[in-house]
Amino acid sequence: MTPMVDVAFLLLTFFMLTTKFRPPEVVKINLPASHSVQKLPESNVLTVTVSPQNTFFMGVSSQQSREKIFNAVVKPKLKNAGVSAVAIADSLKQFKLAESFRVDRDELDKYVVMARFADPKLRPVVKADADAGFEAVNHVIKVYKKANLLTFNLITVLKREVR
Amino acid sequence: MGIVDSPAGRRGIRKKGGRRSKRIGFHLDMTPMVDVAFLLLTFFMLTTTFSKSNTMEINTPPEKLEVKVAEKNVMTMRIAGDGMAYCSLGNEAPKRFHLYDAQDIRQLSLSRELRSLLMQQTKSNQKLVIVVKLSEKAKYKQLVDIIDELNLMKIDRFSLDDYMEQDALEIKRAV
Repeated sequence: MTPMVDVAFLLLTFFMLTTKFRPPEVVKINLPASHSVQKLPESNVLTVTVSPQNTFFMGVSSQQSREKIFNAVVKPKLKNAGVSAVAIADSLKQFKLAESFRVDRDELDKYVVMARFADPKLRPVVKADADAGFEAVNHVIKVYKKANLLTFNLITVLKREVR
Repeated sequence: MGIVDSPAGRRGIRKKGGRRSKRIGFHLDMTPMVDVAFLLLTFFMLTTTFSKSNTMEINTPPEKLEVKVAEKNVMTMRIAGDGMAYCSLGNEAPKRFHLYDAQDIRQLSLSRELRSLLMQQTKSNQKLVIVVKLSEKAKYKQLVDIIDELNLMKIDRFSLDDYMEQDALEIKRAV
């Protein structure tokens, strides 16, 4: 029995270590369905989320890029607002752990350009709710275009329907 | 079940009153531990989803690039916010189609007439380019459905364009 138990424990540790619990979502996104089966890579992803209320959230998968974005865009803003250095370091910590953060419509281009600057290999991705207006999504696409990100992905779920 | 034979098993003939004798031929029941291990194993195996999201890849042309296409090879598809698609070939007056079939409550795919129109037009004209224009009132879902449908039909000659005021006027001519 010992070898079987050994294998069982090996598998158990493997699954325990690889399991990543899904981080809580900032907004509930109801993805549109499509027949596309292409998979999204897990690393180097720049996601712009469009909520059903047409608000924008941005997220970068790697923590280094998050730090760079923070230093380039958020830090000067906080400094101007007169926030102390300790508080800035604290918000950096929070920022690095956050999966995505809220971005204003007219600031999106700044963040996207900075993200691209921080990591040129980023894959741009649009994760929009099925009910989001086309206008908001088009804005994201235009921002990507302006940042010279010409190939991007739209996240969808697989449609389960027979034709 | 779990039987652990101590290497000194043979030696273990009882000496008088020795404390060591307790270790001899010693059994350990591992069953509960193994049960728990398997329970956890099944839990983690079932909850782990190696899920990666499905995506659609979109390539957009660089801003400066311009491709000239003869007018008769262009089919414009305008999507207004009213759930209608207005298709026009070249300069013709646009024809009105329902974007989704009325009985298709969950709006899983484009309407049959629109699909057959796309199919028939691309078959009859190999050079046809479809320009899709969505108005600001259109939903993102409609964009995804249209792109998905075109991908399914293996139509790769299509492009997205901005919806202008002129397009709104054009729609009014619709038949």
